[in-house]
Amino acid sequence: MTFSKPLFAILAAAGIISIAASCAQMKAIPGLPASHPEALAVGQQVNCAECHEDQQKGTMKAFNAFNHTRSFVKSHRYYAASDDRLCATCHKSSFCTDCHSNKVEMKPSTRFGDRPDREMQHRGNFMTMHKIEGKLDPASCYRCHGRANNERCVACHK
Amino acid sequence: MKLIGPSLLQLVCLVILPITVLAADVTVDSTTFLGIARRDVSGGSKESFLPATQFVGLTADKLADGNLSLHLYGWGRTDLGDNSYNNNATSGSLNYGYLQYRFDQANAIIRGGRFSVREGIVNEQIDGVSARTDLPMGIGISGFLGATVHSTNLKGENSDGKGDMVYGGRINYRHTGLLEAGLSGIYQSAAPTLVTQATKEYRRVGADIWLTPKKSIDIIGHSSFNPETARFTEHSYLINVKQSQRLVLTGEINQYREKGDQYTWSPLPNDISKMAIRSTQTGLSAAFEVDKNLEVAADYKHYTREFGSADRFGGEVRVKYKENSIRGGFGYHYLNAGQGFSVGVNPPASYHELRCYTMRDSKSYFVAIDILGDFFKNNIYGKSSAWEGTTSLGYHFTPALALSGDLSYGRNPQFTEETKALLRLTYNMSYPGIGVKK
Repeated sequence: MTFSKPLFAILAAAGIISIAASCAQMKAIPGLPASHPEALAVGQQVNCAECHEDQQKGTMKAFNAFNHTRSFVKSHRYYAASDDRLCATCHKSSFCTDCHSNKVEMKPSTRFGDRPDREMQHRGNFMTMHKIEGKLDPASCYRCHGRANNERCVACHK
Repeated sequence: MKLIGPSLLQLVCLVILPITVLAADVTVDSTTFLGIARRDVSGGSKESFLPATQFVGLTADKLADGNLSLHLYGWGRTDLGDNSYNNNATSGSLNYGYLQYRFDQANAIIRGGRFSVREGIVNEQIDGVSARTDLPMGIGISGFLGATVHSTNLKGENSDGKGDMVYGGRINYRHTGLLEAGLSGIYQSAAPTLVTQATKEYRRVGADIWLTPKKSIDIIGHSSFNPETARFTEHSYLINVKQSQRLVLTGEINQYREKGDQYTWSPLPNDISKMAIRSTQTGLSAAFEVDKNLEVAADYKHYTREFGSADRFGGEVRVKYKENSIRGGFGYHYLNAGQGFSVGVNPPASYHELRCYTMRDSKSYFVAIDILGDFFKNNIYGKSSAWEGTTSLGYHFTPALALSGDLSYGRNPQFTEETKALLRLTYNMSYPGIGVKK
């Protein structure tokens, strides 16, 4: 297919034009703070709605959408894909790379063996279990490892 | 991505010293691991490992005019005994290393260096530059351009199958409290021709949405499209219904096609044809916060592949006590796997999974116990279960410095017995400001 190149070029051009036209008005647009004004305890299940009632100016979304419920933790990829700026007010980039890494050797569950509450990936006998889980949901590898040819995978999956 | 451990360490040291002097706010995270592992492999051989691994991270905020920051993170490993990972005695990687300038308004950010891009359907690590900002009338825009972060060469090939350059971006519209809709895309330059496998070009466009028709309902998801094959590659959507602050009901559907295109290599060489066929997962879950210290959750997921279907259901209980210093959890899940879901020539791999953990964290010591067991309905390689227990004990010398040790033992079909020990020295130095990031 040959139409992908023009499509991307059109999208890029539209972006540049939009930025140029809007720069003059940007000073009036609110931004998120660089960091959360109060330290949050390690292991705490964050409930943003405890303190924030309305939507956040910098995201235009309701704060309660970001409460760290079980559902949020398990489906955080959706939220991070559109609002990782809000994540960054409390979390360093390294918090993401604890699991999401292009190249890694140590299993997250081993590295954080002192934090079982974080439910890091590849716990227990993953060598056996990934043969089942990989068939159930092959894309689950991609979600953390991206398109990396993880060296450990390539050692067997040649 | 050929950076190895020693080079990484030198780079980090060279950068840390001057930055520490110049920056107003510097945080350093360092974790040193010394691992000891012994495996009895099915078939008779025994293996022993002694790897030393160092993770180092640095964040220097408020550089220059106060809006510039430096972010570095990487790791290196060297084996003090036999090779512990593939055939390399040393290894390492720079996970990220970038300068970021953050404007006070409009969430505008410019980055340069190595970093990950997660924008809409894009999930890519690059060496390059990116910029993003909000614009008037609820519009937001971002773009990135750089070199592909290459990884290990494919077996029998002279490359990892990826093109050398990558660019893309996202444009979105937000309506306060109601809607966010985005269009995103990624374009990678022509992939090198492969000898043993089909060459795959990586180009995607996609759309994402976040809809809040009522304050208690969120619908969020995305679809991606491969313009090279003119086919959709993914549809993933989630609906959250919050009946109250304490009860969240979730429904989710994920449909993937062309899974093989998400990787630059074919993970299952004998099943290449299968990788081009769609798979679907639909799920329901409910999480209820009984009170601040007790949460219960239940979930169900149905998996459909071209060779069969499977169902998984179960639940979890999580407790906290004494202002979060004591935490624990218990979970049970059962996978009812159809005929196609088996390990090798073994029968379908239905299994029960039990997991429980407890941990205590005080100002001086911390301890954790974690047990995970998988009990197969039909034996896998003649074994009825795979289980592992891990106990961890540590001591905080200071709030920033801690030493801990883990000991784990397990039995499973792959390795008859596996015993591992790990020493972990953690140093998290941060400035005494408020809201220090985790």
